[in-house]
This record gives sequence, C-alpha cells and structure tokens, in this order.
Amino acid sequence: MSQFLDPTLEVSTPKQSGHKRTESSYSTSYSVLDIYETESPISARSPTTTNNELGDEIMRGLDELEFKDLSNDNTLFASNGSETEINSNSNLNLNLNLNSNSYIEERIEYITPINNITNIKTILSSPYDMYGFKKKSNLSSITPEHYNQWFEQYSQYLLERKQKWLSLMRTNGLNLPNDSTIPTRFPPKSAKVKKLIRKGIPPEWRGNAWFYYAGGYEKLSKHNGLYKEIATNGVKNKDSDVIERDLDRTFPDNKYFKSNDNNEPKMIQSLRRVLTAFAHYKPQIGYCQSLNFLAGLLLLFMNEERSFWMLVILTERIIPNVHSHNLEGVHTDQGVLMLCIKEYINQLWPILGKSFDGQLIAEDKILSNLPPIALVTSPWFMSLFVGVLPIESTLRIWDILWYQGSKTIFRIGLTLFKMSSETNEFQELTSTNSSQNDQVELYQFMQSYPKSLLDPNEVLGNCFKKIGGYGYGSLSQAEIDTCREFVSKQREKLNNKKKNTSIAVTDEERQTLLLGQDVHDVYGFHRSIMILQIK
Amino acid sequence: MSGRKKTLLKVIILGDSGVGKTSLMQQFVNNKFSHQYKATIGADFLTKEITIDNNKQVSLQIWDTAGQERFQSLGVAFYRGADCCVLCYDVTNEKSLNNLTSWKDEFLVQSNVTNPQDFPFIIIGNKIDVDDSKKIPSLQKKLQNITNNQLGGLNYPVFETSAKEGINVEAAFEVIAKMALQQEELNDANGHDVSDDYNDAINIHLESEYSGCAC
Repeated sequence: MSQFLDPTLEVSTPKQSGHKRTESSYSTSYSVLDIYETESPISARSPTTTNNELGDEIMRGLDELEFKDLSNDNTLFASNGSETEINSNSNLNLNLNLNSNSYIEERIEYITPINNITNIKTILSSPYDMYGFKKKSNLSSITPEHYNQWFEQYSQYLLERKQKWLSLMRTNGLNLPNDSTIPTRFPPKSAKVKKLIRKGIPPEWRGNAWFYYAGGYEKLSKHNGLYKEIATNGVKNKDSDVIERDLDRTFPDNKYFKSNDNNEPKMIQSLRRVLTAFAHYKPQIGYCQSLNFLAGLLLLFMNEERSFWMLVILTERIIPNVHSHNLEGVHTDQGVLMLCIKEYINQLWPILGKSFDGQLIAEDKILSNLPPIALVTSPWFMSLFVGVLPIESTLRIWDILWYQGSKTIFRIGLTLFKMSSETNEFQELTSTNSSQNDQVELYQFMQSYPKSLLDPNEVLGNCFKKIGGYGYGSLSQAEIDTCREFVSKQREKLNNKKKNTSIAVTDEERQTLLLGQDVHDVYGFHRSIMILQIK
Repeated sequence: MSGRKKTLLKVIILGDSGVGKTSLMQQFVNNKFSHQYKATIGADFLTKEITIDNNKQVSLQIWDTAGQERFQSLGVAFYRGADCCVLCYDVTNEKSLNNLTSWKDEFLVQSNVTNPQDFPFIIIGNKIDVDDSKKIPSLQKKLQNITNNQLGGLNYPVFETSAKEGINVEAAFEVIAKMALQQEELNDANGHDVSDDYNDAINIHLESEYSGCAC
C-alpha cells in the first residue's frame, strides 16, 4: 500500500517537527461514506469519532518514535483502520487519555474525499455535495442537474489535482503511506506550491493545509490549551443571545448543521462554543454577524480549537477591524476596493461610482461616501465570499487566501466586477442613461451574478492567468497595504473633522506617503494614490 | 434632475437581529416561508408591483437589512430616499420591542428625511404564531407604553403578523404602500431632490488640505 516510502524521511520528517506537542506527522483519513449514507448523525458518527481520537493520540505518540517503525507498520495508516487494528498495536504503549474534555477534541470527518469512482458516484446520486451542502441552491438558479453536469467534469479535475499534490509531497520528502492519508505538514511556500494552491487543494486536505499555511501551528503552540480553557469556562457571555439566534441561520442548507427534531447537531454545538469563545477572547470584536459563516465553514474542515485560532488569525492579520464594533475595517477595505476599481477597471468607475440618484460621486468624496455598490461588496470582506459564490468557488478562494493573504480578496473582487461587466445583462443595464431604478437593478444584478459562478476555474483563471486572464494576480500586497494605510488615515481625519479637531497633514505623514512611491508598482496604483493626495 | 419614477416606493425594514425581517419580505413578495434563510449580511431587496386604492399601480422596493447594531454604520447609502420605514420586533423578545425607538432614531439620523416629524413609520410585531407562553408578558400594555409615549414618539400604526403563517402580512404592506405613496407625493410637491443634501452629512475636500502643494 505504501509504495512511496522514501528512506530520506527517516532523517527529515521527525526533525522538521517544531510542534511535536500538537502536531502529528500524519493523521489518518477515515472514509465518511458510512456517515454519508445514513441520516442518523449520532449513531453514524460516534465510531468515526472514536477512531479519530484514537488515531490522533496514536499519531502523537508515534511522533516520538523512530520514523522507520512507522513505515514498517502500514496497517496504522489504512484509510479504514478499525479500532481492532489500532488496539492490536498496544505494544506501542500509548497514553490514550480519552476522557478529559473529549467534546473539544472530537473530530468528525465531514468531507467526502474525491479519490475514487465510488465516491464520485455517491456524490452524483446524492442531493448533497461532498461537503454536505444541498446541491440545489435557494439563492440561485443552480439545480442538482446543473451541479452534476459540472461535477462530472470537476471530479476528474480533482483526481488529477490530487495526483499533482501527491507528487509535490514526494518531491518534498513528505511521503504519504497511501493516497488516503491526510498530511498535516506541507512543503514550504514556493512558486511551485503557489501554483498548486491556485489550482486547488484536495478537499479533504484543505483543513490541514489552510491551518499550516496560515500559521496555525505557531498560534496553537503559543497558546497551548487556551481554547479548551475558554470553551469550558466561557460558556455564556453578553453576546450569547445574538450568537444563539444565528446558529440555525448559518448553513441551513448543510446537513451537518441542520437541527433534527430532538437532537442538536454536534456541528451546532461546536459553532456555539467557537463563537462564544471567540467573543470572549476578542472583546473588541465580540460576536459580529458573518463570523458565524466563517467559523461554520472552518468547522467543516478542522476541529474546534483550530477553527478558533483560524478566526483569531483572520481577524488579527488578514482582515483586521472588519468585524470590530464600528466595522471600520469594512469601510476601509471597501474604500481600497473602490480605489482599485477606479485604477484597474477605470471604464467601470463611471457606472459603479454612482450614488442611487445616478450622480457620480466626486473623487474627493469616495472614501467618505462609498457608492451604493459597497452594499454588495461588504459581505465579500465580512463573510469572505461565503454565500456570495457557490461553495466550491468560495473554497478555492479560501485556498489562496490562507496562503497569500488579504490581497486575494481584492484580486477576486476586481475579477468579479470585471466578469460581471462582460455579461449581456450588465451591458443592457448600463446602456441607457441610468436612473435610480437602473442603479438599483444593477445592484441586484451584482448581488446575484456571482452566485451563478459554479466553476471555480473560470473565476480563478480570469483572475490569475497571464495569458487570456485579467492579470489581477499582479496586484501586490504592498499596494494593498499602502492603500489600506492611506484610506484608514483619511477616514481617521474625517472622523476627527467631525469632532472639530485639527486635521492638518503633518510633515511626517507627507514624508511617509512620498516614500510609498518606491514600492514596486505594476499598474501605477501608487501614483494614483499620490495624485489623490496632492491634487 | 432626479430620474425616480413616481410609482417606485422605497421601503426600509429595520429591527433587531432575528425578528423576522427577511421572512416578512419573502412572505409578502413571494408568498413563501422557509426555515432556510441565512442571517442577512449587508442589505438585500426585493421588488413587488401592487395596486392600491383600486387603480394606482406602484412598485414597492423593499430593503431588508442586517439587524445587528454595528451594521448600521453601513446603512447610509440605502436609507436615503426611503418613503416608509418599517420597525419590526419579535413578540417573544422584549429587547427587540424596547429597541424600536433607537431604530427609529438611527433611521432619521441616517436618512436625512425632510419631514422627521411626520415621516411615515409603521410597527410590526412578528411571530404571533408562537405559543402564548413564549410571548412577552403583558405585551399590549408594554406596546402601548411605547406607542403612546409622546416623548418617545412611536405613535404609529401597529400590525401583529406571522411571516410563517402569512397572517396579516399582506394587510400591513398595503398600509405601508399607502403611507409610502403619500410620502412620495409630498416629496414631489416640495420639489425635494435626494441629491440636494447628499453630501451634507460628510463633506470632506481632500484637495483643500493640499492646496499649498504645487505638484
């Protein structure tokens, strides 16, 4: 089964581990088919959970062992490794501590891996997709037939991509005992890895890959045990009511989130704990609607503790202040997006930059009076495209987001605007002199159009392809950072102005802005910031 | 200057998170109720053509919004030009009833309407289908305290509805449409143009700050 074993592993793998405490070399993948075919979540899940717990503990223990031993004992990695098999290895003398706070450690595999024809057929005949979402969407015209038509092609693509990833792992000395193993360690960032990331992480690997590349292990090892502590103690706080109201309204179209008559799904319980713990840990944010979508999606791919830390990483590093009490980050980032549109899709600005009464918003007022189209784009930042695009497209964006950071949101945002502007509907809506009515219809179109983008390769191809694409892959993080800083400074002044305090630009500020010119700049974006500044 | 069609009436639905704003809108426009609605982020709207007073065709554009307080900071753009504002509470949630006043105040601040004193508001108490035991104790008295209080100023028509069962939803929106039409006609008579005051709330001239710079 493990024909790819490589002797170099003996040296490299165990020594690379800087996170022995929390990270195992490999975690075993369990087939979720058993879960999938039954409607009763409890009975189906319990054994899998136990397996996983045991598996995790064993893997953790194995980390301490010589890697050679691992390679000699392939049964441990069998994808359907049953409890008996695991227990038969009791000579490993592992400390299986299953009783303490087991609810937090419990992990169910929710994702159906697309690694063979049987699984593909299962998905094709099911009303649900590989993540448990209903194929039929309430929000768009996508039907199960439509979905299947796409998925027949896309599943083949997934099989191909998986092979590419397996090969990438091998060339990086990260051999997997078999194709069903889910790695917890990934190759260091490189041009090659980036390319593969953009083409999609295998769905069942996603949780681990996101966590790895987003720096989850660093967070986890720095705050070892903290989540457990908060989740156990901070069961209720001032945000509990609001959180409670959103639990069932997070993914009502996902079977793992759907409440049965009597039993509250495990997923809802996890979502409650993660959101409550987050509100407790980040009182400057508390609970903000849309965090439920982010936490919910994370929980499909990783355990509670990891989902929690990913939320922390997201709100600290990737989209700071977006969920804060005044949503200042939403205003800032949308200001940045508007300036990006103005710069990179300039021909669209006269259309998108209008207020509801059809007047173009004056250049110097863009940041204080965001155009109404900003109502469409606010969920792009707050929910990171969850519910904005079909799920696979959203997940493919998340693959890149956790690897490349916040510039991804702006790159995709520009792509969505550009794509929509190339449709007939858009052309029609904007061909006549726009009245308030047309402006509102345009708003509606911009909100519904992305929901129809079932094929992620179309969106990402347009965004990143050097030939035949829009080239938004060149928008750099430095540009975004500079622009964010600019917008947030202007808004700060604006707020100060409202309070009648001084708003004069200091020499120091001007100096900082001028220095920004040195940043490499493909499109002249920084120049435009300067123009706006100095004009 | 304004290209607004006379028959387009803009209605804004406000209220705490989870009171049923999306459900009310969906029930009225599409005659359906679902447990599948997700929490609303940002804003959403639906349009419905209706006939009022037997012969008047109007197009109701209904805006549904996120209910969590902090989302109000995103609301400026679409509050403007509203013809009627619906204040919603949940008959099982006392806090949502008590918050009606602040929703009204917030709307008036953000929408910049010309006639705050007589701008048409309507109050909807949703979820009357739920068991009486779960409802706010002595609801009618509390409601009266809020609506009759001259200082609080919520002396508006009240409808009790069930978006789930479709009770009273149609009736409420008919009144909403009539009130909105009246407001619209009033605005037209006054020659009010929305864009006139558009920039008053926040008026920043970046260039003025750099007037000394020659580049």
